[in-house]
Amino acid sequence: MLTEPAKNSVLVIPCSGIGKVHGLMSREATYLVTDELAPAQTDTLCLALLVKGDSEAVAAVGSHACITIDGCAKACAEKNVTLAGGRVAKAVQVAEAFKNHRGAKPGNATALTDDGWIITREIAESVACEAARLQACEEVIR
Amino acid sequence: MSAEITKVGIISCSGEAIPEGTISRLATRRVLELLRPNATVTLCLPLFLSGNEAERNFAKTHPTITIDGCEKQCAKWGTEQHSGPVSSALVVTDILGTQAAGCHRSSRDASQPDKQAVWAVAERIAAEVDTVLVETGPGDGAAVGTSGAQCLCSSPMPGGKVTIQGAAVSIPGLALIFEQCAERNIAADTGSAAALLEVVKIYHRILPEEETEYRSALLAAYQEFRNGVTPTK
Repeated sequence: MLTEPAKNSVLVIPCSGIGKVHGLMSREATYLVTDELAPAQTDTLCLALLVKGDSEAVAAVGSHACITIDGCAKACAEKNVTLAGGRVAKAVQVAEAFKNHRGAKPGNATALTDDGWIITREIAESVACEAARLQACEEVIR
Repeated sequence: MSAEITKVGIISCSGEAIPEGTISRLATRRVLELLRPNATVTLCLPLFLSGNEAERNFAKTHPTITIDGCEKQCAKWGTEQHSGPVSSALVVTDILGTQAAGCHRSSRDASQPDKQAVWAVAERIAAEVDTVLVETGPGDGAAVGTSGAQCLCSSPMPGGKVTIQGAAVSIPGLALIFEQCAERNIAADTGSAAALLEVVKIYHRILPEEETEYRSALLAAYQEFRNGVTPTK
């Protein structure tokens, strides 16, 4: 996190898992939300910084609604945000998005295929909608 | 460390907020897939907190190198706090200096500076893996990298073959190495043969007495590559 997130923004935090394509999809979905779909309403921070216990990162997840995006059932993003005292308003699992894409070949942990980008964008659009809903319901600020 | 240890653990910070986090992640993948596929394994950094005992013991059972995007060194801190001391700690901003300026967080936006930054960091990690292997046990990283085993996270890149002393020798990821040479504007002529050899030596062990033959064989293969012929697998 380079700068403190805007007061009413929603924090989107992916696991960025390095071993499987689902981790990459969580990461790229986050960038689609924060850089393209809802840049004014959302922000992200380094999960590793939160794992480290950085005071600014801990304060940020404590004062902003968080949407976590996890690649696998270990749910590292969701668990670490919760452990840091953050409020997970919505926990997204990448695997859920595959239910409507049986047989899709999304790529690997290094690069996404066209299939992978299509599913990733669907995840991002869902997250952007949820961020908008949270803001509309004024659930953003504690 | 046990004498049975053969693999070096690489833990990337993968920091989402900055381009250097993306570089740390992709460079780590490059080492796992291409540069030292049989000598390295990895683990997601957040698993140290949310994972089980086996995952927390990672750095106790593997000599571990951490790759951090910035000076906050979250990967080093997290690994040492929850798993054990690391063998080496690299920081992307230390390796690249100002080279990371203009790099991007998302792979959708990746351009030539992004690719060059990832290669530079990956080569630095691979060199560190070799050093750690020498310090912790017999053999060297380049030699380990040419065997046929798989790493924990992914399958190694297919190799390209050249003929040395009458025998076919497989060089892992030769096409990607040639691609990198082309991106660095290394020409496919005799004047660039030495530069070509030096790049390949980063990824593949070449003995001094073999260099002359490798230089010729690699140049021929590289010329074919530049003419659109994929190296023989």
